[in-house]
Amino acid sequence: MRRDLRGALLLLLTAAVQSSSMSAPGKPVLLSCRSPEKETFTCWWEPGSDGGLPTTHHLYYERERLEGTYECPDYLSAGRNSCFFDKNHTSIWVDYYLTVTASNALGNATSDPFKMDVMEIVKPDAPGNVTLRVEEREASPCLHVRWMPPSNTDTKSGWVTIKYELRVKKDNSNNWKEYTSGTQTHFSLYSVSPGGVYTVQVRCLLDHGSWSEWSNTTFVKISNYLQNERPLSMLISILSAILFIMAGLILIAKRKSVKQWVLPPVPGPKIRGINSQLLQSGGSDDVGNVLIIKQSFPPIYFVWQDQMEDYLIVTENEDWLSSNSQKSLIPACFHFNSEIHSKESPCHQNDWEKDEEISQVDNNNKPFTNTGYVDFQRHVENVDVKHVDYSRVKEVKRDNILFLEKEKVQSSGYIHFQRQEGIPEDYSGVKEVESDHLVVLQKQNAADLSCKDEGNHYTECALHKPRKPHVCTELSDSGYVDTIPAPPLM
Amino acid sequence: MALKKTDGSKLLMAVVCLVAVCSSVPISDLLDRASQGSDKLHALSTIISQDLNSHFPPIGQEIMPRPSMCHTSSLQTPSDKQQTLQVSESDLLSLARSLLQAWSDPLLVLSASANTLHHPDQTSISNQIQELQLHSKSLGDGLDILSGKMGPAAQTISLLPFSGGNDIGQDRISQLINFNFLLSCFRRDSHKIDSFLKVLRCRATKAQPQMC
Repeated sequence: MRRDLRGALLLLLTAAVQSSSMSAPGKPVLLSCRSPEKETFTCWWEPGSDGGLPTTHHLYYERERLEGTYECPDYLSAGRNSCFFDKNHTSIWVDYYLTVTASNALGNATSDPFKMDVMEIVKPDAPGNVTLRVEEREASPCLHVRWMPPSNTDTKSGWVTIKYELRVKKDNSNNWKEYTSGTQTHFSLYSVSPGGVYTVQVRCLLDHGSWSEWSNTTFVKISNYLQNERPLSMLISILSAILFIMAGLILIAKRKSVKQWVLPPVPGPKIRGINSQLLQSGGSDDVGNVLIIKQSFPPIYFVWQDQMEDYLIVTENEDWLSSNSQKSLIPACFHFNSEIHSKESPCHQNDWEKDEEISQVDNNNKPFTNTGYVDFQRHVENVDVKHVDYSRVKEVKRDNILFLEKEKVQSSGYIHFQRQEGIPEDYSGVKEVESDHLVVLQKQNAADLSCKDEGNHYTECALHKPRKPHVCTELSDSGYVDTIPAPPLM
Repeated sequence: MALKKTDGSKLLMAVVCLVAVCSSVPISDLLDRASQGSDKLHALSTIISQDLNSHFPPIGQEIMPRPSMCHTSSLQTPSDKQQTLQVSESDLLSLARSLLQAWSDPLLVLSASANTLHHPDQTSISNQIQELQLHSKSLGDGLDILSGKMGPAAQTISLLPFSGGNDIGQDRISQLINFNFLLSCFRRDSHKIDSFLKVLRCRATKAQPQMC
């Protein structure tokens, strides 16, 4: 009786002392549940205020397809304010309804019901044992990452399908680069460069659940010593660069001689009788006239406007003709002989036949025949013909033999010359007259005629002054025009 | 002549056998394909569920009918790993096929009501439901082919009639609630199908552990 009274008094006293801060517990809150491998799960709650009194919490659950209310089987394994459901108590594809009740001396408080299904709360543990291995290769190093699946996960039966993801960052940057690994527990990184510290983390996922936390960070430093092997190659490259630069400088300094060696000057066409130096010195009018006429290949006809008779005797070089009848260029080599008209020239004793016909050749370079004929066309324009006794040329052989028609031969055998002043002298002198129908011309530099009186039948005529030479250009097969040195003077 | 005939027929037989062997896809590949299809099916249903719940806090969870009222709840399925691993391959396939078959009609209902759903994401939900239907159909066809290769037990399908009819609610709220409920049932069943097929796949590919 006395004990009871004492106890009640004590209780009243303590209650009176703590009456202001004592209350029933606050409502706890169920936070979350999690299943790491789809076989067990754990739930956590947050207790409310304890009301100043020791408060206990109890978790009760109901389950679909299971009658009754049950209490949490394990409050300890998962820590404070948690409840761990082991394999025997875990079912999937059924709803659990959980409630937590906090109770103390003054009352209880029950949380809101928390509905969950195991299939929705799957979140695995992080992968473990992440190892890094650096493989040094010539071009660039590569990083091999290996890890183990979380220890509690069953990857052998197909109950869960695991998927991995890893992320890498270099040194202290915040830029993580993420890679997906699928179901493999290894991965190789090739985009690493030496001289850096790489940090790698791995995480995993089960089927349709949530990603795990990132694993512990693993560091690896890729050494820089690879670059020490470079100096040799760098030295070599620098030396060769210096050599190249020096060679280039030498080349530039001696560019003229190099140019001469690489591209030797091509000898230009040498026109006999034309002295380049003479040309350069601005030679006489004759030289200029030479050029003018010599450049009139293919043959054109020119008309002497003066009162003198003007005509041409065109001879051909048979040799060149036959081989180049196809060329549209100069088909033959021509000597231009304009007849020398000279009055009272000592060189008149010659069976020189002049023909008043001027050959007219198209500028289109009609190829000549192979026979050596010259097609003379009668062209009487602007020609003041003096009636002189002419012989008609029947045939031109080679380049210096004229066959004349017999009936035209004058008995006198005279040949009249009319020297035309101011006309460039490019005649062939008659070398010999044989019989009464064969005239052999001088095959020489017409500019070098010197008159010699040697009897009635022929005269060698040569001009004293060097005049323009024959221009004989030979056509080679390639189509180029080369000069042939004129035969020596007689 | 007779010799030639026998030679010809032998050749023909050889060709037919070769064609038959070459054209048959191994079961492991078929299961792999089926697993990928079921994975996609469940992922799609989860997305639709999230879209649906994004604008409605789970207040409806309290008034929502209990999942035991899903029309497929009558089917006895394993409820944990141990039980699942004890089921035979043919039975697992039969269960998967039954579940899938049970949803062909309700998906039509869902698809129809998605057009008139009062929800901000109604268009995207409607499109996704259509996609869901297509996936479900193609997975069903694939499982039919598989069942042909796995014996008679795999061919049996349990009928699970859907009694909800075409009407999922008169007013907006009940429409949404029923839609949500049907979708949650589908999510659970698609997860079951996915798990069963993945267990089957792992069993069929003993030589390739990376498939599990």
